[in-house]
Amino acid sequence: MIGDVIVRSLRERSPLIPVEALLGNCDGSRMPEIVADRLTQAIVQRLVEVCPTAALGVEDHEGRRRLRLSYSRCIGCGKCAEAGQEAVIVAKHFPRCGVTKEQTVRLWDIDGRAEVTPLAPSPEEARGQIHWLLQRALNIRQLDAGSCNGCETEITALANPYYDLERFGIHFVASPKHADMLLVTGPVTRNMAEAVKATYEVVPAPKLVVAVGACGCSGGIFTGSHAIVGAVDAVIPVDGYIPGCPPTPTMLITGILEVLRRRMAK
Amino acid sequence: MKENAPASFPEGEGSVGNTLTIPRTKGGATARLVTVFGSLGPRGEKLVHYVFDVGELPYSQIAFPGYGPIRSIAREIPAAAWHERELHDQYGIEIVGHPDLRPLVFHDNWPDGVYPMIDSVDGVPWSNREYSFLQVQGDGIAEVAVGPVHAGIIEPGHFRFSVVGDTILHLELRHFYAHKGTEKLFEGRSPVDGAMLAESVSGDNCFAHAVCYSQAVENACRIDAPPRALAIRLIGLELERLVCHISDLGGLCTDVGFSVAAAYATRLKESLLQASVQCCGTRYWRGVSVPGGLRFDLDSTKVAGLVQAVTRASRDFSDIAHMILETPSIQNRFETAGVLSMEAARDLGVVGPVARASGINLDVRRDHPYGRYGNCSMKVPVTHYGDVMARARIRIAEVAVSLGLIQETGKSLPEGGVLAPAAAQRDVQGFSAVESPRGELCYWLQARGGRLTRCHIKSPSFQNWPAMPLAVEGNIIADFPLINKSFNLSYSGCDR
Repeated sequence: MIGDVIVRSLRERSPLIPVEALLGNCDGSRMPEIVADRLTQAIVQRLVEVCPTAALGVEDHEGRRRLRLSYSRCIGCGKCAEAGQEAVIVAKHFPRCGVTKEQTVRLWDIDGRAEVTPLAPSPEEARGQIHWLLQRALNIRQLDAGSCNGCETEITALANPYYDLERFGIHFVASPKHADMLLVTGPVTRNMAEAVKATYEVVPAPKLVVAVGACGCSGGIFTGSHAIVGAVDAVIPVDGYIPGCPPTPTMLITGILEVLRRRMAK
Repeated sequence: MKENAPASFPEGEGSVGNTLTIPRTKGGATARLVTVFGSLGPRGEKLVHYVFDVGELPYSQIAFPGYGPIRSIAREIPAAAWHERELHDQYGIEIVGHPDLRPLVFHDNWPDGVYPMIDSVDGVPWSNREYSFLQVQGDGIAEVAVGPVHAGIIEPGHFRFSVVGDTILHLELRHFYAHKGTEKLFEGRSPVDGAMLAESVSGDNCFAHAVCYSQAVENACRIDAPPRALAIRLIGLELERLVCHISDLGGLCTDVGFSVAAAYATRLKESLLQASVQCCGTRYWRGVSVPGGLRFDLDSTKVAGLVQAVTRASRDFSDIAHMILETPSIQNRFETAGVLSMEAARDLGVVGPVARASGINLDVRRDHPYGRYGNCSMKVPVTHYGDVMARARIRIAEVAVSLGLIQETGKSLPEGGVLAPAAAQRDVQGFSAVESPRGELCYWLQARGGRLTRCHIKSPSFQNWPAMPLAVEGNIIADFPLINKSFNLSYSGCDR
């Protein structure tokens, strides 16, 4: 009976994850992290070979070879961590969610064994904004541009009692006309391209667009298919990128809050 | 488009040649159609493959020349209708006598006469061809168009309702908005590398796809995955089913406004996803199954921890599920809503929990055992009401079955390696079927010179979608989300 369900539910301890433990958490995404002082030319060569989506690559910079890691392409398969002889580990902390596309790329000087990209925004900064965030409302319209539904299952999880996105005043709304932000998943398929543009058009300004998942950020594993147009930014302007295949709920929250923070900093 | 052989089509009943003789079961009934797909032979000639379930252990596979027109079997077996439309879209095979050959996979933007499985797909121009929906005419009939962008966190698809007042007279689906050309993307990959792409066919069933793909390669290359890998796969597959079914019951509660129960279900689901991270590093078991077994071994104590978490969550679920179903307002909404008759389900070759809720006793795990399922005894829950309540009850019963299978397998986890070495065979074909949470999932693949030349995916959603409109007819439009949820079909799995 209905009363039994409520009693049972009230008896349980709240599983709500505190904000401090959410931001930057990426457990379960298998995002890679480079251990710079273990890099060698041979290991880098191997890493580039095993990466299925060309997220890892090598580029020349003024005569020096650099390792390039594009998180927007990474599907978290973990092959680099297997092949990397401890030069790659699974990241424990991943703040590059909701950042610009440039910030999803990291570079290492291979012989110098050092990262040459600036640090990602720290979760400390985002934390400073929490009080502000808690006073605000944000309406999100989720838009599936052709995803495999992996990202949708994780976005749906944001409403569960562990993550409770509503505590930040963030709601999912049914119409793009009510939305401040579009959360777009999937590579944009040919068959969805028109609907994606039309949806973007009816969101009232100022509109924020966040590309979610490897497919939304870069086309991911579907790059090169005749049936897709490309990443979300091939069709509409994008304000922030949340990598991962799929990004975990904590990465989604980190990313959504980071996009808001950047918007406010402008 | 070039034909490799002169078109020929025999006339008259009973003639052979290009007319398929539909297999029958021992009892004389028409065999259940599993899938129809095209491929190219060694000289580039088109072939049409039919797979049937004739009620025996192996599936019955028939390959058939497709370079001339073929006769549609959709009037005798309605389950073939979408398959034949897809075949026509992908290969340009002429199909004679099909009741509805409108484009299925490609929309208005795709030009006529470009068939991606045989033609070049570089820079296909944008087109603007016509598509017409079925018009239901009469006094007071209105059309309601929904989608492809829906009012929730849902995949894209289009529903065209014809209603009188609130009552649905007819529903026409237009899907394939999530079509990503996945089958074509397999081509040219090494068979070992395809599992990752298979995982992205339907994200919430990614492990079933990875295992089914892995098994198809193993069957093709005659690789025996080690017993420990098979046992861990079984645990992963049953966990995925359990997570899906728990989530589905929560979704049904959401759709009738019972939010406390819905929140409880999401909490149980999340506890299992977090337990998976502890056990294998990812929430949905991505990157675990590969051809030959598993990419890495899972620690036995961690597996035991997972089994404990599953036991706890399943028991909680069982308690709450019974409380939910005893709630009168739930009974009022679930019972008699969205009835799918056994006849309709059979005609359309419906599979999985939806079939079992409409009286069709079908389960790949029992009927065509794979992996470690041959060692397990399992009960397949079946009921015949065919309504939303029946589909909810089947899922609740299946959670208990899955828990039993996980506990049984977890207790006697074999020791040893988890990955058999890849074989060097180069020109191979393989088929595999798995009971995914949504039902029978099949992969058929072919490799030449060590590279995939074809990979066909028959997803349960592709098979079940055409049945959903039949279940909503006569219901009110406000019950549509509930009925749709009770089918819980994947758009991406269908559209690929």
